[in-house]
Amino acid sequence: MKNSKIVLFSAFRYLVPSDYENWLERMATEGWHINHFRQWNSIIMTFKRGEPKKYRFVYDPQVSPRKEYLATYEQFGWEYLGRMASAHFWRMEYEGERPEAFSDQESKEKRNKRTIAAVSVSFTIFLVTVLAVGIFLLFFTDSLSKTDRMQVIIAEAFFGVIMLALGSVMIFLRKNESH
Amino acid sequence: MSLEKARKRYIPMSETMFYILLSLKQERHGYAIMQQVKELTQGRIILGAGTVYSSLGKLEGDGLIASVREEGRRIIYTITQTGKEILHEEAERISELYNNARGSL
Repeated sequence: MKNSKIVLFSAFRYLVPSDYENWLERMATEGWHINHFRQWNSIIMTFKRGEPKKYRFVYDPQVSPRKEYLATYEQFGWEYLGRMASAHFWRMEYEGERPEAFSDQESKEKRNKRTIAAVSVSFTIFLVTVLAVGIFLLFFTDSLSKTDRMQVIIAEAFFGVIMLALGSVMIFLRKNESH
Repeated sequence: MSLEKARKRYIPMSETMFYILLSLKQERHGYAIMQQVKELTQGRIILGAGTVYSSLGKLEGDGLIASVREEGRRIIYTITQTGKEILHEEAERISELYNNARGSL
């Protein structure tokens, strides 16, 4: 029996924060655990086999949390797992009623808005890049050789695809803002 | 934040905000706020860590509460004069609501 499971692009499969939390919870009930979150876990994530546990996970985007952030969650009984980009991860073992870190609809929606804001930063970076490369292609490539020009076009297509993907992620998250 | 601006932003306010403000008539840190609100509502409202943390940040930023001191990594807050005024006006609004409903139900 294998003792570890590798999951690729998990953050892109479950875009809505609550879906991501539920997926982590399902993995834990099947005995697949991740005890530390790191920067690259959105791309590659390794779960280790262990006892099946009932954990409630929390996905909380906070770009620059105040210094009482960790202490507040810890006092409520949450265990800190680390961060993946600006998303902080917490978990709590429970029986019976499922614990909630966001106890009203308003703070749930705000959490989802912070997620959209994080995606929109990357979207803007790619948008600016696509525009800059586009302007370069239109006006400044006369002096380039055919192969150089081709390379710029390929780069533009590559950035364009990522920009469109980020844009559709934002639209999808906005539609699911109340979850 | 001016009182006028605070009125626009906080009246009417959510139950969460109302009870956090109310519980800060005494100095408290985040976890103690949750316990106090749980007691006041007989277990109906159990505030979550993320909700408390972000509400405190917002209320402090808008000047309705202020941090008094630190205990280890925890911060103790209390309500400000602006916060008291807003809380009072909100309670008045809710009591009007209550009286009108009582008269017609």
